[in-house]
Amino acid sequence: MNEKRYPPGDLAIWIFILAELLVFAIFFASYAFTRASHVELFNIHQLQLDTDIALVNTLALITSSYFVVRAVKAISVGKRSECVKWLLGAIFMGLIFLVVKSVEYAHHYSNGINLRTNLFYMFYFSLTFFHYMHVIMGVVILSVVTYKGYSGGYSAAEHTGIETGASYWHMVDLVWLILFPLVYVMR
Amino acid sequence: MSKKSISVNQATLVYFILVVLTLLAWLVTKTNISGVHVSMVILLVSLLKGHLVGDYFMGLNRVNSFWRWAIVVWLLIPGVLIGYAFLI
Repeated sequence: MNEKRYPPGDLAIWIFILAELLVFAIFFASYAFTRASHVELFNIHQLQLDTDIALVNTLALITSSYFVVRAVKAISVGKRSECVKWLLGAIFMGLIFLVVKSVEYAHHYSNGINLRTNLFYMFYFSLTFFHYMHVIMGVVILSVVTYKGYSGGYSAAEHTGIETGASYWHMVDLVWLILFPLVYVMR
Repeated sequence: MSKKSISVNQATLVYFILVVLTLLAWLVTKTNISGVHVSMVILLVSLLKGHLVGDYFMGLNRVNSFWRWAIVVWLLIPGVLIGYAFLI
Protein backbone atom coordinates (compact mmCIF):
# COMPACT_ATOMS: atom_id res chain seq x y z
CA MET A 1 0.00 0.00 0.00
CA ASN A 2 1.56 3.28 -1.14
CA GLU A 3 -0.47 5.39 1.29
CA LYS A 4 1.03 8.64 2.55
CA ARG A 5 1.10 9.20 6.28
CA TYR A 6 0.29 12.89 6.22
CA PRO A 7 -1.88 15.05 3.97
CA PRO A 8 -0.30 17.45 1.44
CA GLY A 9 1.35 20.57 2.88
CA ASP A 10 2.53 21.45 6.33
CA LEU A 11 0.98 19.36 9.11
CA ALA A 12 0.35 22.52 11.17
CA ILE A 13 -2.08 23.85 8.55
CA TRP A 14 -4.11 20.64 8.86
CA ILE A 15 -4.46 21.06 12.62
CA PHE A 16 -5.55 24.65 11.92
CA ILE A 17 -7.97 23.41 9.21
CA LEU A 18 -9.57 20.89 11.59
CA ALA A 19 -9.99 23.60 14.25
CA GLU A 20 -11.58 25.95 11.69
CA LEU A 21 -13.89 23.22 10.40
CA LEU A 22 -15.02 22.49 13.95
CA VAL A 23 -16.03 26.14 14.43
CA PHE A 24 -17.96 26.14 11.15
CA ALA A 25 -19.66 22.85 12.09
CA ILE A 26 -20.91 24.45 15.33
CA PHE A 27 -22.11 27.46 13.32
CA PHE A 28 -23.98 25.22 10.86
CA ALA A 29 -25.66 23.16 13.59
CA SER A 30 -26.61 26.35 15.49
CA TYR A 31 -28.20 27.78 12.34
CA ALA A 32 -30.15 24.58 11.68
CA PHE A 33 -31.46 24.17 15.23
CA THR A 34 -32.35 27.85 15.59
CA ARG A 35 -34.17 27.64 12.26
CA ALA A 36 -36.15 24.65 13.58
CA SER A 37 -37.76 26.97 16.13
CA HIS A 38 -38.38 29.79 13.61
CA VAL A 39 -39.06 27.99 10.32
CA GLU A 40 -41.44 30.60 8.89
CA LEU A 41 -39.14 33.54 9.70
CA PHE A 42 -36.13 31.80 8.15
CA ASN A 43 -38.03 30.73 5.03
CA ILE A 44 -39.49 34.20 4.39
CA HIS A 45 -36.15 35.98 4.68
CA GLN A 46 -34.19 33.28 2.89
CA LEU A 47 -36.39 33.94 -0.16
CA GLN A 48 -35.13 37.56 -0.15
CA LEU A 49 -31.55 36.42 -0.78
CA ASP A 50 -30.19 36.57 -4.32
CA THR A 51 -29.43 32.97 -5.30
CA ASP A 52 -27.97 34.08 -8.66
CA ILE A 53 -25.23 35.94 -6.80
CA ALA A 54 -24.71 32.91 -4.57
CA LEU A 55 -24.39 30.71 -7.67
CA VAL A 56 -21.74 33.01 -9.16
CA ASN A 57 -19.81 32.91 -5.90
CA THR A 58 -20.08 29.13 -5.60
CA LEU A 59 -18.82 28.65 -9.15
CA ALA A 60 -16.02 31.16 -8.49
CA LEU A 61 -14.80 29.20 -5.46
CA ILE A 62 -15.09 25.78 -7.14
CA THR A 63 -13.22 27.09 -10.18
CA SER A 64 -10.61 28.68 -7.97
CA SER A 65 -10.11 25.40 -6.11
CA TYR A 66 -9.71 23.59 -9.43
CA PHE A 67 -7.11 26.14 -10.55
CA VAL A 68 -5.19 25.50 -7.33
CA VAL A 69 -5.25 21.75 -8.05
CA ARG A 70 -3.78 22.50 -11.49
CA ALA A 71 -1.12 24.74 -9.91
CA VAL A 72 -0.02 21.94 -7.59
CA LYS A 73 0.03 19.48 -10.49
CA ALA A 74 2.14 21.92 -12.56
CA ILE A 75 4.79 22.53 -9.88
CA SER A 76 4.98 18.82 -9.07
CA VAL A 77 6.38 18.28 -12.59
CA GLY A 78 8.57 21.38 -12.46
CA LYS A 79 6.39 23.69 -14.58
CA ARG A 80 6.95 26.81 -12.50
CA SER A 81 5.52 29.46 -14.85
CA GLU A 82 2.44 27.33 -15.51
CA CYS A 83 1.97 26.92 -11.76
CA VAL A 84 2.12 30.71 -11.27
CA LYS A 85 -0.49 31.23 -14.01
CA TRP A 86 -2.90 28.79 -12.38
CA LEU A 87 -2.34 30.45 -9.00
CA LEU A 88 -3.04 33.88 -10.48
CA GLY A 89 -6.25 32.47 -11.95
CA ALA A 90 -7.21 31.12 -8.52
CA ILE A 91 -6.54 34.50 -6.89
CA PHE A 92 -8.62 36.23 -9.57
CA MET A 93 -11.56 33.90 -8.88
CA GLY A 94 -11.14 34.53 -5.14
CA LEU A 95 -11.26 38.27 -5.79
CA ILE A 96 -14.43 37.81 -7.84
CA PHE A 97 -15.99 36.11 -4.81
CA LEU A 98 -14.95 38.99 -2.54
CA VAL A 99 -16.22 41.69 -4.91
CA VAL A 100 -19.56 39.94 -5.51
CA LYS A 101 -20.05 39.28 -1.79
CA SER A 102 -19.16 42.90 -0.96
CA VAL A 103 -21.75 44.12 -3.47
CA GLU A 104 -24.30 41.79 -1.85
CA TYR A 105 -23.48 43.16 1.63
CA ALA A 106 -23.70 46.74 0.33
CA HIS A 107 -27.11 45.97 -1.18
CA HIS A 108 -28.35 44.61 2.16
CA TYR A 109 -27.05 47.57 4.14
CA SER A 110 -28.55 50.07 1.66
CA ASN A 111 -31.90 48.37 2.27
CA GLY A 112 -31.46 48.75 6.03
CA ILE A 113 -30.76 45.07 6.59
CA ASN A 114 -28.06 44.25 9.10
CA LEU A 115 -27.12 41.87 11.92
CA ARG A 116 -29.90 43.19 14.16
CA THR A 117 -32.70 42.95 11.59
CA ASN A 118 -33.80 39.53 12.78
CA LEU A 119 -32.53 36.09 13.79
CA PHE A 120 -32.14 34.90 10.20
CA TYR A 121 -30.00 37.85 9.17
CA MET A 122 -27.99 37.57 12.39
CA PHE A 123 -26.97 34.07 11.28
CA TYR A 124 -26.68 35.05 7.62
CA PHE A 125 -24.24 37.90 8.29
CA SER A 126 -22.30 36.05 10.99
CA LEU A 127 -21.82 32.88 8.96
CA THR A 128 -21.10 34.47 5.60
CA PHE A 129 -18.86 37.21 7.01
CA PHE A 130 -16.84 34.68 9.01
CA HIS A 131 -16.36 32.76 5.76
CA TYR A 132 -15.64 36.03 3.88
CA MET A 133 -12.76 36.70 6.28
CA HIS A 134 -11.38 33.25 5.49
CA VAL A 135 -11.55 34.01 1.77
CA ILE A 136 -9.54 37.20 2.37
CA MET A 137 -6.99 35.20 4.35
CA GLY A 138 -6.90 32.58 1.57
CA VAL A 139 -6.30 35.19 -1.12
CA VAL A 140 -3.44 36.64 0.95
CA ILE A 141 -1.90 33.18 1.42
CA LEU A 142 -2.24 32.36 -2.30
CA SER A 143 -0.68 35.75 -3.18
CA VAL A 144 2.34 35.09 -0.96
CA VAL A 145 2.70 31.57 -2.39
CA THR A 146 2.39 32.93 -5.95
CA TYR A 147 5.08 35.54 -5.35
CA LYS A 148 7.41 32.92 -3.92
CA GLY A 149 6.63 30.62 -6.84
CA TYR A 150 7.34 33.45 -9.30
CA SER A 151 10.63 34.12 -7.51
CA GLY A 152 11.72 30.52 -7.97
CA GLY A 153 11.09 29.48 -4.38
CA TYR A 154 9.45 26.17 -5.34
CA SER A 155 10.49 23.22 -7.43
CA ALA A 156 9.21 19.78 -8.39
CA ALA A 157 11.13 18.34 -5.43
CA GLU A 158 10.12 20.95 -2.83
CA HIS A 159 6.76 22.71 -3.01
CA THR A 160 5.33 22.18 0.46
CA GLY A 161 4.39 25.86 0.65
CA ILE A 162 2.11 25.61 -2.37
CA GLU A 163 0.49 22.46 -1.00
CA THR A 164 -0.05 24.20 2.35
CA GLY A 165 -1.72 27.20 0.71
CA ALA A 166 -3.74 24.87 -1.51
CA SER A 167 -5.03 22.88 1.48
CA TYR A 168 -6.21 26.05 3.21
CA TRP A 169 -7.90 27.27 0.04
CA HIS A 170 -9.72 23.96 -0.48
CA MET A 171 -10.98 24.21 3.11
CA VAL A 172 -12.48 27.63 2.27
CA ASP A 173 -14.19 26.03 -0.74
CA LEU A 174 -15.34 23.02 1.28
CA VAL A 175 -17.04 25.21 3.90
CA TRP A 176 -18.86 27.23 1.23
CA LEU A 177 -20.17 24.04 -0.39
CA ILE A 178 -22.15 23.38 2.82
CA LEU A 179 -22.89 27.02 3.62
CA PHE A 180 -24.41 27.77 0.19
CA PRO A 181 -27.21 25.17 0.30
CA LEU A 182 -27.84 25.63 4.02
CA VAL A 183 -28.35 29.40 3.91
CA TYR A 184 -29.56 29.95 0.34
CA VAL A 185 -31.31 26.79 -0.82
CA MET A 186 -32.67 24.49 1.90
CA ARG A 187 -36.11 25.44 3.17
CA MET B 1 -2.54 -1.32 -4.12
CA SER B 2 -0.85 1.87 -5.20
CA LYS B 3 -2.60 5.16 -4.57
CA LYS B 4 -1.21 7.80 -6.91
CA SER B 5 -2.11 11.46 -6.88
CA ILE B 6 -5.05 12.25 -9.11
CA SER B 7 -4.50 13.02 -12.77
CA VAL B 8 -5.46 16.28 -14.46
CA ASN B 9 -8.29 14.44 -16.22
CA GLN B 10 -9.68 13.15 -12.91
CA ALA B 11 -9.49 16.64 -11.36
CA THR B 12 -11.25 18.12 -14.39
CA LEU B 13 -13.98 15.48 -14.23
CA VAL B 14 -14.52 16.18 -10.50
CA TYR B 15 -14.63 19.92 -11.29
CA PHE B 16 -17.40 19.43 -13.86
CA ILE B 17 -19.34 17.15 -11.48
CA LEU B 18 -19.13 19.88 -8.81
CA VAL B 19 -20.33 22.51 -11.29
CA VAL B 20 -23.27 20.38 -12.48
CA LEU B 21 -24.36 19.52 -8.91
CA THR B 22 -24.13 23.21 -7.97
CA LEU B 23 -26.27 24.20 -10.97
CA LEU B 24 -28.87 21.58 -9.99
CA ALA B 25 -29.07 22.99 -6.44
CA TRP B 26 -29.42 26.51 -7.85
CA LEU B 27 -32.17 25.37 -10.24
CA VAL B 28 -34.17 24.18 -7.23
CA THR B 29 -34.28 27.78 -6.00
CA LYS B 30 -35.78 28.83 -9.34
CA THR B 31 -38.74 26.49 -8.97
CA ASN B 32 -41.51 26.09 -6.43
CA ILE B 33 -39.94 22.83 -5.33
CA SER B 34 -39.24 22.95 -1.61
CA GLY B 35 -39.84 21.00 1.56
CA VAL B 36 -38.01 18.69 3.89
CA HIS B 37 -37.44 15.90 1.38
CA VAL B 38 -36.00 18.25 -1.22
CA SER B 39 -33.79 19.79 1.45
CA MET B 40 -32.53 16.34 2.44
CA VAL B 41 -31.58 15.54 -1.16
CA ILE B 42 -29.79 18.90 -1.47
CA LEU B 43 -27.99 18.25 1.81
CA LEU B 44 -26.85 14.78 0.69
CA VAL B 45 -25.63 16.16 -2.64
CA SER B 46 -23.74 18.90 -0.80
CA LEU B 47 -22.07 16.35 1.47
CA LEU B 48 -21.07 14.36 -1.62
CA LYS B 49 -19.58 17.52 -3.13
CA GLY B 50 -17.63 18.10 0.09
CA HIS B 51 -16.35 14.53 -0.03
CA LEU B 52 -15.20 15.01 -3.63
CA VAL B 53 -13.31 18.17 -2.65
CA GLY B 54 -11.70 16.37 0.29
CA ASP B 55 -10.70 13.28 -1.65
CA TYR B 56 -9.71 14.72 -5.02
CA PHE B 57 -8.87 18.40 -4.53
CA MET B 58 -7.31 18.14 -1.08
CA GLY B 59 -5.70 14.85 -2.08
CA LEU B 60 -6.96 12.91 0.95
CA ASN B 61 -7.78 9.77 -1.04
CA ARG B 62 -4.10 8.84 -0.90
CA VAL B 63 -3.18 9.62 2.71
CA ASN B 64 -3.44 7.92 6.07
CA SER B 65 -7.04 7.18 6.87
CA PHE B 66 -7.14 9.44 9.98
CA TRP B 67 -6.92 12.60 7.89
CA ARG B 68 -9.31 11.32 5.29
CA TRP B 69 -11.84 10.26 7.90
CA ALA B 70 -11.47 13.53 9.77
CA ILE B 71 -13.01 15.30 6.78
CA VAL B 72 -15.64 12.58 6.30
CA VAL B 73 -16.61 12.88 9.98
CA TRP B 74 -16.66 16.66 9.66
CA LEU B 75 -19.12 16.30 6.79
CA LEU B 76 -21.24 13.65 8.51
CA ILE B 77 -21.67 15.16 11.99
CA PRO B 78 -22.97 18.58 10.88
CA GLY B 79 -24.78 16.80 8.04
CA VAL B 80 -26.67 14.57 10.48
CA LEU B 81 -27.36 17.49 12.84
CA ILE B 82 -28.62 19.71 10.00
CA GLY B 83 -30.74 16.86 8.66
CA TYR B 84 -32.21 16.18 12.10
CA ALA B 85 -32.93 19.88 12.67
CA PHE B 86 -34.80 20.08 9.37
CA LEU B 87 -36.82 16.93 10.15
CA ILE B 88 -37.98 17.87 13.68
